[in-house]
Amino acid sequence: MRGMASLSKPLRPVPAAFLPVAALACACVLAFTLLLAWRPHVSGEPATADILDNIILWDSLLPRAVIALVAGASLGLAGALLQRVLRNPIADASTLGIASGAQLALTLGLSFSPLLAGLSRDLVAFAGGLIAVLLVLALSWRRGLDPVTVAISGMIISMIAASLSVTFILARGEYALSISIWGAGALNQHDWNGVISLAPRLVMGGFLSFFLIRPLNVLALDDSSARSLGLAIHGLRFVILLVAVWLAASVTATVGIIAFLGLAAPSLARLCGARTTGQVMATAPIAGAAVLFLTDCLTQLLGPGFSDLAPTGAATALLGGPLLLMLLPKMRSLNIASTGAEAASRAAAHPNALLTGMTGLLLLIIAIALVIGPTPFGWSLARGAMFAELLPFRLPRAAAAGSAGGLLGAAGFIMQRMTGNPLASPEVLGVSTGGGAGLTVALLVFGFISPLTMLGSMTIGALLAFLFMIAVAARSELSAERLLLAGIAVSAISMALISMVLAQGDMRSFILLTWISGSTSRAGSFEAWTGLISLVALALPLFAFHRWFSILPLGTGLARSVGLQVMPSRLTLCVLAAVMTAISSFLVGPLSLTGLIAPHLPRLIGFHRPQHQLAGAIVIGASILIGADWLSRVIIYPYQVPVGLFAALIGGPYLLWLLSRKERQR
Amino acid sequence: MSSAFPLSRRMLLTGAASVLTAGSHAWARSGPRVATLDWALMETLLAIGANLVAGSELRQFRQVAVLPNVPDTVADLGLRGSPNLELLHFVKPDVIFNSNFYQWADPLMSAIAPVESHSVYQPGQSPYDLAMTATLALGERLERPEAERLVHDLAGRLHRHGGELRQGDGRPILLINLGDARHYRVFGADSMFGEVLARLGLVNAWTGATSYSAMAQIGVETLASMPDAWIVLIPPHPQDALKELTESDFWNALPPVRENRVLTLGSVNPYGALPAAGRFADLLTEGLAHAWNG
Repeated sequence: MRGMASLSKPLRPVPAAFLPVAALACACVLAFTLLLAWRPHVSGEPATADILDNIILWDSLLPRAVIALVAGASLGLAGALLQRVLRNPIADASTLGIASGAQLALTLGLSFSPLLAGLSRDLVAFAGGLIAVLLVLALSWRRGLDPVTVAISGMIISMIAASLSVTFILARGEYALSISIWGAGALNQHDWNGVISLAPRLVMGGFLSFFLIRPLNVLALDDSSARSLGLAIHGLRFVILLVAVWLAASVTATVGIIAFLGLAAPSLARLCGARTTGQVMATAPIAGAAVLFLTDCLTQLLGPGFSDLAPTGAATALLGGPLLLMLLPKMRSLNIASTGAEAASRAAAHPNALLTGMTGLLLLIIAIALVIGPTPFGWSLARGAMFAELLPFRLPRAAAAGSAGGLLGAAGFIMQRMTGNPLASPEVLGVSTGGGAGLTVALLVFGFISPLTMLGSMTIGALLAFLFMIAVAARSELSAERLLLAGIAVSAISMALISMVLAQGDMRSFILLTWISGSTSRAGSFEAWTGLISLVALALPLFAFHRWFSILPLGTGLARSVGLQVMPSRLTLCVLAAVMTAISSFLVGPLSLTGLIAPHLPRLIGFHRPQHQLAGAIVIGASILIGADWLSRVIIYPYQVPVGLFAALIGGPYLLWLLSRKERQR
Repeated sequence: MSSAFPLSRRMLLTGAASVLTAGSHAWARSGPRVATLDWALMETLLAIGANLVAGSELRQFRQVAVLPNVPDTVADLGLRGSPNLELLHFVKPDVIFNSNFYQWADPLMSAIAPVESHSVYQPGQSPYDLAMTATLALGERLERPEAERLVHDLAGRLHRHGGELRQGDGRPILLINLGDARHYRVFGADSMFGEVLARLGLVNAWTGATSYSAMAQIGVETLASMPDAWIVLIPPHPQDALKELTESDFWNALPPVRENRVLTLGSVNPYGALPAAGRFADLLTEGLAHAWNG
């Protein structure tokens, strides 16, 4: 630890740190005092009222305050450990998918075996969180756990977990159940059990970290020097990871998802002057405890009467976005020039013939979707009069799903080409969720809304989210990393808004939920034409820009030297990608992973020229979604499963396959 | 737990046995073939003896709303959020009734049969009044005199129940649905249940804010702020949530729990129409009457 201090920058004098610490401490004390003083009192006859006031104070208010401190400290410690062990300033239980993995595991446990969930909630949550984080790390392994890639992978895994959770809830027909499922943990307590189960874990976690600090400092050295210390280093990393996941999953199992606290705590610790690993380790839990405590006091103070303003977990999620933005300048841009082209195998000999074949396959899928399907009289091939009868139902769906798939394929192609990151996709750009935030606001304002208002509010939300991102990333000439991180930050803010409304469990939640699950069964002629016209108007012009796609991935310097205006061309492409994403998320919801998968396959098949890759991405995107839509309506006929499930079912295995493939290449 | 709910099991049995107008009409079906996605309209149609040929999410409806009985001949259109329109086409309804809730489906369904809209839940409007209007409108449209009878019967029933309840303790009633062990949804004055409560001459213990759908997520600690109330639990709720809650010290220190003022009703659809309102009124009145008279 001393060695570390001498290696890094010299310590700042303490007084500089005094101000934020004192301010935070004062704010906490003040908020709690106000909470105690202003808390609503029970009315009624004095004797009973006194007893009840005491119950509220001792069995609810105080355990809630303590669990805020304990949960905050645990998440702060988990965040500090994760950031250290992964050497990633934006690692945290939410960005790594731990919280949503744990939440999905809990949902599944509850669905399949209520008793099992009752007995070993913590174990279930731990397993879910661990699987999620291992997937995230595996996804980003090949890029040396580069922070941006880790964050994107975390986003993808979180999205798959969320889509599965939503599907299971919808499949059980429960539109508004336990509040904690919506990524909005709440700290309400009515006894000390939560504290009793969580506090010892924090103590043990703190104890373990204390012993791990020293070897952890070795990790702060270069990987090469660390490697010379032997294999033990990997074991140590893994143990630390386990401790962090265990802490975060325990919190999720006890109070639900408290988003981004693990991100906030270490940054705050550094703001308060913590410099060495030891200092950060010691300060981050305190900072986390203070932040969660303060947030929780505020949501209680601002809520009417005895109720809270918003679930505390959703309130902290609002912190996440701004924090990520604040941390942006600290991210070292790796400026990876290579595209996902690295993953491309041998060049295909006859790309045009291949494309024709793929289009043929798409037509075949369309034909299947239009003709084959179950009816009340069993499976049948629709012919003649029956075909004509069913066409009005099947054609708009196929058209909407197909055009949404094509739009997502094209948007994903733009994102991956421009950022040079094969994990970039329109879903993580923050634009789909920005559209969701727009929808949320429209629901709050109007109550019930028509499809046109829905599309309008979503487009406005998507564009605002997008403009905000551009404004943030513009300072670095829209560099790929900045753009992706800004996208994740915007996504975090939008999701916080959506969770707050979802947590209300009322009819608006129902509308949001159906949108999230992505239901193509709503597609009528309006949706079909919206999709088709957008596909023609937005995706076709991209073929004219093929020169940009060849040059932009080569990096700003080179692009400028060949006479390309970097800013305007990036901006044009970004706007196109944003609008295409907004429209497709109106059609099929925000969770389909088509924009991630569709642009990959053409590269793997061996298309090298941008035009071929783009065409391939559009055709494959359309095929995936039309196929998924067909599956979603035949698999448990007459019930129709939300397409989100199939996105996860297709996307998940594909990502795993991609991983194993890359491992072999190494 | 069993000591906290001395009445719950008896309540469930009597609740299930209580006579509702709906069941008796189930087999006298004729007239135009009707279909709907909306549960409130569906139970109204069943209750007035309309010839219902398709409804949505029937499996869930039988669990949550319980009554009226849905005959096996009614086709299940699947999830309310994504109904199977092909199937709706195959059952060939003569008319489809829809609500503001599924407004998006209007253009799609009007290709199958004429769509007529009736809404029971609108921001800022009384669901009971709207349900009454919708029932009468449906009755007129389908020429079912049962609709008028349903409205009058229910008004009479509420009046009778109200008279019976006036003999009671006059305590306020808190209507809740458990979400998990630490949160509940409350039915305020603007909910269907809240309106029935008012029509029964009972006082709603919840005076705080509710969103327009008449529910909000509330922490259970707030139960302590209503020491005089009857706590009425309306299922469905997660089993482990109820178990965890009723085992806690906090719960057992609450005056309503100590003084046996907790009722668990049978499951009722909170977004129902008049049949749900009637079922709720019956279950509540019987529960309270039993509790008061021992």
